[in-house]
Amino acid sequence: MAHLAGLGHALPERVVPSPELAARLGVTEEWILGACGIRERRWISDGETAASLAERAARTALSRAQLTPAQLGAIVVGTGSAPRAFPGVSADLQRLLGAPGIPAFDVPLASVGGLFALALAVDLCPRTGPVLAAGAEEMSRVLLRAPLSKETAILFGDGAAACVVAPGDGPIAVVDVRLGSDGTFADALALSPGGPLVMDGRTVILQASRKLPAAIRSVLEPQGLSPADADLYVLHQANLNLLRGVARALGIGEERLFVNVDRVGNTSAASVLVALSEAAEQGLLRPGSRVVLAAFGAGFSWGAALLHVAG
Amino acid sequence: MTPAAEKIRRTLEPLARAPIPDDADASLFELGVLDSFGLMDAVARLEEVFGAKVPDADLTPRRFETLAKIEAYFTARAS
Repeated sequence: MAHLAGLGHALPERVVPSPELAARLGVTEEWILGACGIRERRWISDGETAASLAERAARTALSRAQLTPAQLGAIVVGTGSAPRAFPGVSADLQRLLGAPGIPAFDVPLASVGGLFALALAVDLCPRTGPVLAAGAEEMSRVLLRAPLSKETAILFGDGAAACVVAPGDGPIAVVDVRLGSDGTFADALALSPGGPLVMDGRTVILQASRKLPAAIRSVLEPQGLSPADADLYVLHQANLNLLRGVARALGIGEERLFVNVDRVGNTSAASVLVALSEAAEQGLLRPGSRVVLAAFGAGFSWGAALLHVAG
Repeated sequence: MTPAAEKIRRTLEPLARAPIPDDADASLFELGVLDSFGLMDAVARLEEVFGAKVPDADLTPRRFETLAKIEAYFTARAS
């Protein structure tokens, strides 16, 4: 099918600890931890953008894939906080990388954007050659343009991650990817140009708690696998409580979950790829292991991927 | 109180973050009885207790906002 040839991620320098946010929002740190399990998140400072973070992540991923920007066949960026309606973050990333001429486009699906970008890259790369799939967010800019809402301000962090997807076999094979969307819920998680983030949290959680386990089973079952057969689950780091709920629904122990939401918050489209990049750096993509990715985001849209690390 | 209503109260009790109201039409969300994750767990447990799967299209908070709505929904699904 295709393989992941290199991963990288980049986070802003500025750490926003939950006690600092609690004071601004008039809540307690304990309330934040109970609501989402996030101890700190990173927010961009002057000079940092989703595209600048994406460039850092992309250069790391390209270096690890032993490729240069000139060797890319396409750039796909998942995002939910692009500073312009068009062109997207992908255009800025392409300019920063110095890779003109190849197609570059955004997937504006917020939290599931990184996974959709990866899925599109898997399908594109046999025709174009290596594709850079990225997720990049500057959600704090969105949060800060309206009075901070405790429901959303505690969750989101900024960050970017990138993955070089190349055709054929390689050290991390993409075995399968499944995606889905249901526009019935388009208004439940939405961002209009210049507007505040709209999030019906209860609906998001109810739907995500159902769609994520189903998406995961949809990539395992065709391979004759059950949830217990996957070694590592790298899920969209939406909220620690949701991650635990998905583990319960799948009947797997929490030790199989990769968790970084406590340190980086919910980085939306970047989330699943940041988590995968960190898992790789920590040596958790062990030879012979099966790794499941899954995400849920605006649309609603959702998906899962099954990876197999060469043994 | 109907047997279904009693079953619902027993199911929600361990998940409730505030006292379950006597008023079956009171909002469980506004009273703080169920937060987002409590609702997620409540629906899963109610599905088991009533032996009725909630279709994805029905997974919206308003269907489960009050004890009366929960009873009406699961009574209809279970029948």
